[in-house]
Amino acid sequence: MPYATRPSRQSDYNLFDSSCPIVIDNGCFNFRIGWTGESDPRITFRNMVQRPRHKATGETVTIVGDHDPALMKYFDCTRSSHRSAFDGNVVYQFEIMEYILDYGFERMGADGSQVDHPILITECVCNPVQSRSKLAELLFEGYGVPSVAFGVDAVFSYKYNQQLGVCDKDGLAICSGLNTSHIIPFVNGEPVFEACCRTNIGGYHVTDYLKQLLSLKYPNHMSNITWEKVEDLKMEHCYVALDYASEVRLFQKGAKEAEEKNRCWQLPWIPPPAEEPPSEEEIARKAAIKEKQGQRLREMAAAKRSSRITELENELQGLEFLLHQLENVQENDVPSFLSETGYISKLEIESAVVRVTQSLKKAKREQVEIEEKMDPSMTEKYTLINIPDNMLSPEQLKEKRKQLFIKTTSEGRQRAKQKRFEEELDRERQNELDEKKRLGKRLKVNGTHTNESHNSSGGVGRGERLNAAQKERMRLLTTAAFDRGKGEDTFGTRDEDWQLYKLMSKDIDDDDEGQDEDEAELARVTSRLQDIDPTFVAKSEIGPFQTIVEIPRFRPLTKEDFQIILGVERFRCPEILFQPNMIGIDQAGMDEMAGISIRRLPLKGNSVEERITNSILMTGGSCLFPGMGERLEAGIRKIRPFESPIRVVRASDPVLDAWRGAAAFAAAVPFSEQTFSRQDYYEKGEDWLRRYNLRYTF
Amino acid sequence: MEAEVIKANILLPTHLSFKRMQMSDKYPKGYARGRHWKHLKQILQAENYQNFPPTDPNYVNIESPPSMYPSKKFCDITGFEAPYVDPRTTLRYANANVFKSIRSFPNEHVQRYLSLRNAAVVLK
Repeated sequence: MPYATRPSRQSDYNLFDSSCPIVIDNGCFNFRIGWTGESDPRITFRNMVQRPRHKATGETVTIVGDHDPALMKYFDCTRSSHRSAFDGNVVYQFEIMEYILDYGFERMGADGSQVDHPILITECVCNPVQSRSKLAELLFEGYGVPSVAFGVDAVFSYKYNQQLGVCDKDGLAICSGLNTSHIIPFVNGEPVFEACCRTNIGGYHVTDYLKQLLSLKYPNHMSNITWEKVEDLKMEHCYVALDYASEVRLFQKGAKEAEEKNRCWQLPWIPPPAEEPPSEEEIARKAAIKEKQGQRLREMAAAKRSSRITELENELQGLEFLLHQLENVQENDVPSFLSETGYISKLEIESAVVRVTQSLKKAKREQVEIEEKMDPSMTEKYTLINIPDNMLSPEQLKEKRKQLFIKTTSEGRQRAKQKRFEEELDRERQNELDEKKRLGKRLKVNGTHTNESHNSSGGVGRGERLNAAQKERMRLLTTAAFDRGKGEDTFGTRDEDWQLYKLMSKDIDDDDEGQDEDEAELARVTSRLQDIDPTFVAKSEIGPFQTIVEIPRFRPLTKEDFQIILGVERFRCPEILFQPNMIGIDQAGMDEMAGISIRRLPLKGNSVEERITNSILMTGGSCLFPGMGERLEAGIRKIRPFESPIRVVRASDPVLDAWRGAAAFAAAVPFSEQTFSRQDYYEKGEDWLRRYNLRYTF
Repeated sequence: MEAEVIKANILLPTHLSFKRMQMSDKYPKGYARGRHWKHLKQILQAENYQNFPPTDPNYVNIESPPSMYPSKKFCDITGFEAPYVDPRTTLRYANANVFKSIRSFPNEHVQRYLSLRNAAVVLK
């Protein structure tokens, strides 16, 4: 019931005689108030008060009951949430209770100087005297009420249904409210409170459990899972399973029936705008821009290169000119001539010439290479190769020879490059293998200290046969020992040189045979696999407890991501009424309570128990779950003797019957004899209230 | 006050003719701290039920005793029957899939699941 419409103020208050009682069903969930003798309460609202501050004026206002949350934008609700006058099912906060009564009487249309009507108000079973007397005090002193009567809601409901013929004068009322559930046995139409039974669990706990479960299951949608929404979901979808264990097994197996029982709540979701692929023109435009930029860069590079070539050529010319002049100069004048140029000797000039020519060649070659690369078809360059000699002129023959030469050298270069690349790959793989072996080795050394004694490490005794790897190692060791000081020491210039140490070290040879046969077998299989498939990598280090965490890939959110699925929750949450243990409340469930209640009956025999179980009435808001009656019947059948008569009925209206019963009770003539008047309050005081007990039958 | 608020008529009038004493006089502003209402536990304590015969029904002794049935263990996450308990988090779980998800939960989640059945560690 979200934001039920605000009840309108009644206008016929003054038409009622002052002896006509006002009947109030003060339930934890809803507050109902109306006139005796009518079939329905005039006003019903949520038993809640909110006292926010009005933003514009700064004054604190009082809002009772439900309201449209859209209006809350005018109020500052940070310091006040919804507050209830109840702790458990007992009224304790009389300030809030007063606001609620104010609102109730105001909506009823009261406008005199006091509320001049007797009041019948409901309370919980065995209400503490303090709570009862405070409420009486409030009614007498705050509103000037002439007299008050207190009754139990579940009893009124039972009596009302008894009048309707739904249940008998001996029976059991099962009342499940917002905070508590009660079982009250009736004998001869009177409730036996000595035998009644209360478990502190009710609809509030079911809603709270559902809300917690859903918000834990869908942490992303926490903000959507509000109390009001969950309450709606509970009322709409929850049901009581006849046998929780078998029902849940159905879901665990993923049976088809279970899937049909799933309910889906689609959250508001707007599909994101689909990204359009870029148009042809766009692609072409981008490519053109890229091409242009590349062209510019290439041009710049070419310009730079050509300027360098011309520079070098100029230098070369200058040097050649210098050499040429030097030949003409007299022997004696050479030093003076050279001192002008800045060179010391002819030799130096010549070496400079060589250097410049070399760099010139290099620059030109670069240009050629670039041109080669830019030329996509290699075959075009070697146009003459495939033409027989006799068809060519001498110049062409020359050209052909040149082309042949270029082709073979370039191919050779390519081959060398390829080979280098392959070697690189091999080396990397080798490195990896070594690394792995070393790691394995280290683990083993750490793990098996005791095995050191039987020497199976690399040391090989004389006369023993060596395998190939060991032989190679011995060779390396001897050459390293005897080569020292011989010739030029170029060791270490190449990276491969350092591999030598790995080969030399003891770790390289497979010395762990016999230590762990399984491991050896694994290594053998791994190496064999690597022979067949060079890319194979043994995953020996991944243990059984190491879970591979897949990195979640980004994917666009879909409609399914905004769905809340109610599966097991549909019957798991109401199940707490029968197994309060599920939420950590160590009390008996509803079916067991019935047994306890029957056990507690003070007068047994005369088949009163059978008569009681033959008329079990369910009332209260939490009895609205489908399947409740069947489940209660099955549960009570378990604790009763074989073939006991058991009949479970639902109240004609589990929610409103309490008020209707109270209204009917107050309409009967003897009602005024059972009220507690203001006179009594002033004369007899609190202690009389303790002994106050309504008689429900006339 | 905005027209919308007045039209919705959600506010309780501050002056009601049928009251002997208006709320603003009874509970003057600024004295909220001084008002204390006894909670249910304190009310029950003050009732002194021990002075009355135990056969008289009262709020405390009509309460249900603990269940006679052995409590069943259900998976904290899925609600299935749970044969296993995770020793690290003490969550009950039904199968390997649930266990995997348990191990990926942040501690806050674990505690919230535990508090659902009143088994969370509460530091005071």
